[in-house]
Amino acid sequence: MRNLSFLILAGMATLLGSPASHAGDIDLKIVDAAGRPVSNAVVTVRPAGGVPDGPIRFPWGTTMVQENVAFSPHVLIVPVGATVRFPNHDKVRHHVYSFSKPARFEIKLFGKDETRSYTFKTAGAVALGCNIHDQMSGFIKVVDTPFAAKSGADGQVRIPRLAAGTAQVTIWHPLMKARNNEQLLLVPVPGNGSVSRNISVALRTSP
Amino acid sequence: MKGALFRRRLRRGLRHMRSALTVKMTLLYGALFVAIMGMSLYATRNAIDHYADRTVRQEMAIGSALFARMATLQFRQLDQSATVLASDFGFRTAVGTSDAPTIASALDSLKRRFGIDHALFVSVDGALAGDTDMLTETESSQLYDALDSGRRQGIVGWRGQSHMVAAAPVRAPMLTGWVVFSRNMGPKELAQLAQLSAVDLNPRLLPVAALPAGLRTTKSDDITTREWRRGSDDMLVQARPVENLVPSAPRMLVLEYSLTDAMAAYAPILNALLAFGLIGTLLALWGAFVMSRNLARPIIALESAARKVSSGEHAQVKVETRDEIGRLARSFNRMVNAVEMRERQIAHMAFHDGLTGLANRTLLREQIALYHQRAGKEGFALFCLDLDNFKAVNDTLGHPVGDALLCDVAARLAQTCPAGFVARLGGDEFALLVDDGAGHADQIGRAIVNSLAQPFHVNGHRIVAGASVGIALAPQDGADATMLLKNADLALYRAKQDGKGSHRFFEPAMDAEAQARRAMEVDLHDALRNGELELHFQPLFGLSQNRVTAFEALLRWNHPVRGMVSPLQFIPLAEETGLIIPIGEWVIHEACRVAASWPDHIRIAVNVSPVQFRSSTLNSIVLQGLARSGLDPQRLELEITESLFIDNVEATLASLHSLRTLGVRVALDDFGTGYSSLSYLRSFPFDKLKIDRSFIVDLLAHEGATAIIRAITTLADALGMETTAEGVENSDQLDILRAQGCGQIQGYFFSKPIPAGDVAQLLQKLDQDRRAA
Repeated sequence: MRNLSFLILAGMATLLGSPASHAGDIDLKIVDAAGRPVSNAVVTVRPAGGVPDGPIRFPWGTTMVQENVAFSPHVLIVPVGATVRFPNHDKVRHHVYSFSKPARFEIKLFGKDETRSYTFKTAGAVALGCNIHDQMSGFIKVVDTPFAAKSGADGQVRIPRLAAGTAQVTIWHPLMKARNNEQLLLVPVPGNGSVSRNISVALRTSP
Repeated sequence: MKGALFRRRLRRGLRHMRSALTVKMTLLYGALFVAIMGMSLYATRNAIDHYADRTVRQEMAIGSALFARMATLQFRQLDQSATVLASDFGFRTAVGTSDAPTIASALDSLKRRFGIDHALFVSVDGALAGDTDMLTETESSQLYDALDSGRRQGIVGWRGQSHMVAAAPVRAPMLTGWVVFSRNMGPKELAQLAQLSAVDLNPRLLPVAALPAGLRTTKSDDITTREWRRGSDDMLVQARPVENLVPSAPRMLVLEYSLTDAMAAYAPILNALLAFGLIGTLLALWGAFVMSRNLARPIIALESAARKVSSGEHAQVKVETRDEIGRLARSFNRMVNAVEMRERQIAHMAFHDGLTGLANRTLLREQIALYHQRAGKEGFALFCLDLDNFKAVNDTLGHPVGDALLCDVAARLAQTCPAGFVARLGGDEFALLVDDGAGHADQIGRAIVNSLAQPFHVNGHRIVAGASVGIALAPQDGADATMLLKNADLALYRAKQDGKGSHRFFEPAMDAEAQARRAMEVDLHDALRNGELELHFQPLFGLSQNRVTAFEALLRWNHPVRGMVSPLQFIPLAEETGLIIPIGEWVIHEACRVAASWPDHIRIAVNVSPVQFRSSTLNSIVLQGLARSGLDPQRLELEITESLFIDNVEATLASLHSLRTLGVRVALDDFGTGYSSLSYLRSFPFDKLKIDRSFIVDLLAHEGATAIIRAITTLADALGMETTAEGVENSDQLDILRAQGCGQIQGYFFSKPIPAGDVAQLLQKLDQDRRAA
């Protein structure tokens, strides 16, 4: 309940503040070295003037389902402190684990329609695996900014209503050939309108 | 002294060497064998070379295949081990939590469990764990790059050592790093591989950069088999590609083998072959030498025998074999024998008479010379003898009978005088040489004459040969064979002249007489050329016509020194020497020439000698004489004698007829003296008979002579022949002749022979006398 009121307050503040201060959008298109659109790239923005205080909520929720021996969605963006639920919709049992630094945990062998949850307290990328099914792979990107989104199948990602000025944009992708699988760039955000960038990233061919 | 010995040895050596055939054949066969051995050695060496090379290459291929197989197995094993570790949850937990001690111990544990030499963990951020001190920083980063670019296995060089490496990724679930297992691939490990191949290929894994400069390629991925030869040892080195973990620092499997060593394995074969070749060559040389010497020796023997034979010696070669050379030797011996036999035959023929087998003149002369040399005080005697009637025997009974007679004569001579040396000088002439025979030469001569006077019986014919013998005594009658033979011949000539069937000793006067004859012969020869001969003409007076009807040409020789030479002296000589032919020719020509100027009714009579008559040229000479002078043939009368009919009646008749066809007249001279056969009067129609002067001389002395004249004239009339009486010297004779019907007279009563220049005068005078009468 407390969470819900926090969300509403944050939304109102955003809506109210927009006419007063200048705000712009960032439109990015993420492509690989060959120019193909890259999906599931997570873009987080730290706008000029910093991240506004207050709780962060994303419209896509905090649930990572195991379905058809796969994680769904493949990449899930959650704010720091969010508790993610892991409902098992498969008939087989799963043993979800993560050795990633932000969250090392194991959810041992839970069956169909059982739900476990885990609270992510540190920002960062968390790679999920299943000790039973090596091919299962999923990612939870724990962010500490409300300005985050992941690219769609067309590689497009839009971060709206950013304060004008130079924004720090971080692009993360699980296969990115870079330290911590991410790259940082500075994007000048206009007072009004949007700035578009094509971002080319180098990806590993296989995980 | 020493030099001479050496020279002699050298000469002997050269003589052996002179058998060039031996040397040639020996060298040829030797060279052939050496060539064959050389080729065979060369071919064998080449074949071995090829074989060794191919074997080495095969071994290298096998070695390389073994390596590839082993590598595959080991890569798989390493990969399996690495994969096992990489997927172990505990290990992944340790990696995920960066639990370095755990990682190291896990690596160590698994390394030991699988018997792996080295183990590493390379985290995705480039950090290494495990046996990190076995590779340098550069090699570490190369390893990371290789793994990062997706390489999972291959050969790699770390701190100079080759390793076989397999890597397995560790996912948690994202890639967090790689487990890297490696095995040493140093010479020691590769040596175990080498044990599997038949030859020691000294396999090594070397960086391409360490290969000889010329073989390095700039493109690192262009790794194909390379091969080169190294050093004097003739090493075959092959570099074969292997799977490399780090493409930028590639390594190759290098195999090498010394071809020299490979060849060395075959050295005993080659050495044995060489040894056999040398022995074979020596054997071939020896064999060729022995064979060629065996071949050459008989040839040399033949050559030296042929040399001997050509210098007149007798020589035979030894027949040693039954082959071609043996046959040649046999043929050579036969040839030498045949040649010698023929030589003896020829020598015999040269010294003997083929018919009788007696010695010939040459041998006789030698024998005489021999007798001269050894003659004692008594000396020796040479008898030359000649059969008296041999020509008649030959002509009437034929040559076979004549030859048989000669053989019988030879036998009888040998029988008569067994101690004598009998020779046949030619024709029917024989000679007998009797040593110490001077004392009783007369006795021997008589014995020979008597012996040969006995009739011979040859082929059923009874023949009385008869012989005359001339005897010369040595040394007084001749110091040499020529003289002795000549003198014996002179004595024989005398014996013949003095009536046949006798023997005569040589006397020095005979020699003088013979020389005089010879001188006259020479003079007579010159007489014709010098114009010393001339014709005189004696008229023949026709009693019925009462005038001269003909002249007989009579030959006169007026020699500048000798004066007038009697025809009785020189005509026989001319007949004997054959000079009568040219002289007779001259006579016919001259007579015709002179007669041509006479009145037409006067003929010219010319005597023809038997020798001239028998010569084949008479007809043409007569024709020429007539043609040249223009004399009517009817005015030429040829006078022949009866003696022509003695020898060969047929031939004489044929000649007479052929003369008659020329149109000339033929008269028979001296009729009634000689053979006097009437048959030939019937056979040939003579134009005239000339009655011999002996009948005319008798006319006044004997009553019967008239009857003979009467008979002759009657016979002549009956046969249609004229008659001429010769030698009429007085009128009484003329009266009788006229009374008995003789046609013509000739003689001193009427006129002696006169020179040609006087003929006209004589005719004129006679003409005047007649007119006066």
